[in-house]
Amino acid sequence: MAAAADVRDMLDLPAESQPRPHKKQKVVEKRPEGITRELYALLGERAPPIAISENKYKGRPKLLNKLRVRPWRMSPFTNGARADGLVLNHWQRKHEGARQPAPEGTQMDVDVDGTKEEGKEETKPLEQEYTFAKYNVKAQLPRRYTDDEYSRHLRNNEWTREETDYLMDLVNEFDLRWILIADRYEYQPRMDTEPEGNAIVPAKTVRTMEHMKARYYFIAATMLAIEHPPSEMSEAEFEWHEKMLKFDPNRERDRKELAALQLNRTADEVREEAMLLEELKRITSNEQSFISERRELYSRLEVPVSVGNTAMYQSSQGLSQLLQTLLQADKSKKRRSILGPDGAVASPASQTPTQAGGPVSRGDTPSANAAAAAAAANNNNKKGPAVPPVQPVVRQLTAAEESRYGIQHHERVTAGVQFRSDRAQKLTQAKSNVQTQKLASALAELEIPVRLFMPTERVCKDFEKLIQSVNVLLEARKVSEKVESEIRVLEASKAERERKAREAAGETTATDPENPEVKTEAEDGTGVLGSTAEAAGSGGEKREGGDGENAEEAAKEDGNHKRSASVLSAVSDKSNKRQRR
Amino acid sequence: MNPSNPPQAAEYGGDEVSAIVLDPGYSTTRAGFAGEDAPKSVIPTYYGKYSHEGQERLLFGDSMFVQPRAGISVHNPIGKDGIVEDWDMAEKVWESSFASRLTATKPGNPFHNGLNDIPSEEFPAEMEVETDEKPLADNPLLMSEPGWNPAKAREKTIEIAMEKWGTPAFYLARNGVLAAFASGKASALVIDIGASNISITPVHDGMILKRGVQHSPLGGDYISSQIRALFKKNSPQPITITPHYLISSKTAVEAGQPPQATYRTFPADRAPDASYRALQEERTLSEFKECVVQAWPGPNKLSGPGPTGISNEELARSSPGRPFEFPDGYNQVFGVDRFRVVESLFDVKAAIPDPDSPVPAPTQAQTLPEVIKASLAGVDVDIRPHLLSNVVVTGASSLVYGFTERLNQELMSLFPGPRVRVSAPGNTSERRFGSWIGGSILASLGTFHQMWISKKEYEEHGANIVEKRCK
Repeated sequence: MAAAADVRDMLDLPAESQPRPHKKQKVVEKRPEGITRELYALLGERAPPIAISENKYKGRPKLLNKLRVRPWRMSPFTNGARADGLVLNHWQRKHEGARQPAPEGTQMDVDVDGTKEEGKEETKPLEQEYTFAKYNVKAQLPRRYTDDEYSRHLRNNEWTREETDYLMDLVNEFDLRWILIADRYEYQPRMDTEPEGNAIVPAKTVRTMEHMKARYYFIAATMLAIEHPPSEMSEAEFEWHEKMLKFDPNRERDRKELAALQLNRTADEVREEAMLLEELKRITSNEQSFISERRELYSRLEVPVSVGNTAMYQSSQGLSQLLQTLLQADKSKKRRSILGPDGAVASPASQTPTQAGGPVSRGDTPSANAAAAAAAANNNNKKGPAVPPVQPVVRQLTAAEESRYGIQHHERVTAGVQFRSDRAQKLTQAKSNVQTQKLASALAELEIPVRLFMPTERVCKDFEKLIQSVNVLLEARKVSEKVESEIRVLEASKAERERKAREAAGETTATDPENPEVKTEAEDGTGVLGSTAEAAGSGGEKREGGDGENAEEAAKEDGNHKRSASVLSAVSDKSNKRQRR
Repeated sequence: MNPSNPPQAAEYGGDEVSAIVLDPGYSTTRAGFAGEDAPKSVIPTYYGKYSHEGQERLLFGDSMFVQPRAGISVHNPIGKDGIVEDWDMAEKVWESSFASRLTATKPGNPFHNGLNDIPSEEFPAEMEVETDEKPLADNPLLMSEPGWNPAKAREKTIEIAMEKWGTPAFYLARNGVLAAFASGKASALVIDIGASNISITPVHDGMILKRGVQHSPLGGDYISSQIRALFKKNSPQPITITPHYLISSKTAVEAGQPPQATYRTFPADRAPDASYRALQEERTLSEFKECVVQAWPGPNKLSGPGPTGISNEELARSSPGRPFEFPDGYNQVFGVDRFRVVESLFDVKAAIPDPDSPVPAPTQAQTLPEVIKASLAGVDVDIRPHLLSNVVVTGASSLVYGFTERLNQELMSLFPGPRVRVSAPGNTSERRFGSWIGGSILASLGTFHQMWISKKEYEEHGANIVEKRCK
């Protein structure tokens, strides 16, 4: 046993200053029963760890002790499933109270010469059915045919009456277990019926299980039909009948041949099959995962319900600010703690063009950033300006290639990141709600979704063009509506004037020649407006000037028309202003 | 569980009628009460014959191994193919298996047990109870037989049981079926590796499929003959087996050194017969089989290539050998040779040739894989997969180390398609007494009692009834 000091020594603990006072332990060991006190004292303090126990008969449990002993006795019994009344003996609990047999009575029972006692006891087991007799069940078989029925319905060239009987006997004997029937089928045609046929031994036909089944099912179905004509059969019986009639031995034989083929495959075939199955499993599981991934993707494409106010992140500045804060947080959190204050490994942020600006600024094009960076790194290592082998990496792309790889050149690159789709999206948002709705309805008419499915560069450009032309069209429509209403007003006032004139005097011819002028003037105005509308997208300001001149000219031409022209110019002016904004 | 309560009948469907189960084999005869888990009486089927004071005496049971009687010769009533040849002696051997230990302890006649002795000789002699009682008058008898037992032998068996032993009820069951029952299966492919034969018995719904029953003589005795052939060709010197009864003392020698033992000699007129020595040698050989012999567990044959490219023979050589000491003290470590003696059960080319041996060289058709193949070819294709997934291995010779693994490998390579499942009880006695245990289960079932052939039925129909009833 390790003392406390040893343990301390092992664990390199300082030795205890003073030894602990020994606990006073007084072992009071209980003296087991069955040992005298003197003997126990001889054992001393440390008794050997041997259990001293006395084997005692425990007896029956107390509860059982109160009950009366129920004796068992060897009693004879007969089995109801047997026809011969064989008497066997087994142990059984003696029935209480029924009869108190004399002790010699049981003795006599075992003895060979049971006299009247045995006769008495034999009557007892007959009263109660043997427990296991109920398991004696036979398969339900159709009634056996009579001679008449056989000759009328069941004649067959291949099967003699004797052989059919033999088959039916076997079926009965083996309870329709065809495997056993086919195994034990050994029909020997009787030879004594033909006296002269001793030279010709009839070729022994080999009956296969299919032959036997076909014959039996035919007989069973026929017997069933004789018993109950098909019209009177119950549903189950009819089904059974149909099934038996439809038995096709040839098909069954083919099936067995296939089964044998399947069983006798070679190892290679089995391996190949296993491989194919594995492949199939893989394919189906891949399909499953593909479908689930696709579903997940679709669910992500759905616009998420934003919880907080995201307006500040809609602009590119907001986004870049967010990025900066995130990067800051990331840096301060992880990088520093893992790599120390000056990270040996360049952070991913340093690979962005703005950060890696120092050495890269010498690079020719920003698209060749990575190559230039590599070159710069090389330069730094070699400390020499000559880098001809690295330089050819930068290669000029043709216009077709650039479009293919999606390379673009911007004159002015805005800071931060923005989505192309967002830019396209912004175009659909006009200043007023009415205008926005109009835009949306125009897009809806063209069956173009407000949110682009595939916001590629080209699609965005086209979309931009489309939106612009839609805007122009909308302007044009507005202007044309205005002009039309103007014309209507003027016509109304003109009609009023004419009416007044007619009322006042009969001078009709004096004012007449003016009318066509007005009309032409109006036509002129719309024509000009149409042309302005056509080119409104590119140079609104220039046209505006033209417009103003036109209006002024018109005003100079005729005082009557001055008002309408000024109105027109004011309208176009307004629209142009709006566009500029 | 309180032992004073009987198990509920519904629990196991048992109803014991104190039936006796007798499972006669070529090497041993097993007998015991139905419902027990092992036979109470296991005696050799061999019997000794010697003459004593001019009278011919017979010797049954283990006692003949103890003391070599003068001029004793050993015989077996059962032929090499497992069918009884000498019915008179078979009856005596079988009777001795149960009469000596199972049925002989009946309460004696109270007049003769000494307690009721009347001092005066006035008791009338006619009160004598008839003593010529038949040994099985109270016990139904369930016997087993090989699957290829001819009808004549079966009729003879029931005649003996009914007329000589006076059993009230009798049943004759195939030992393959019983072995299947012992492992809890009603349908199985039973592979029985016995002493004289290996037999394959397809069982369907508790009945054998006669066309699938196959047997071949490559049993335990064949393995013994292979071991003898191996000993003859042993490299330092041929090994001769000296049975225990010929050794009076021995001293320990180094491995491979010639034995130093003093031998017992018998005068020519008192010497036991050669058959006695052969039987005693067989006992040494079975010890050798238990301790040394091993079946190459596969995959592939012993002579074939191993999984890693090294030949299996090399692998077997690299595994540590096993020492064995013969009764005369000679001892040797057996290396790869211990695999060779069983290899020919699977691969006929691996047989160790021995022209002097009485056992003929095996043929390809006799090897275990071929026999199994032939057996399965004889049964309907629909149940073959089911049989292959219920392979039951029984018989004492199947206890050779690594045998079931090899059998499994062979079956899997024979039938790569269906699932092969070999069920072999790990318990030695369950493997040795498989068919007896099955008989014990069967004869203690309540539902079985309707199947007995009663004495009345036998008297009514004659011995032919066994063909009708014991299908």
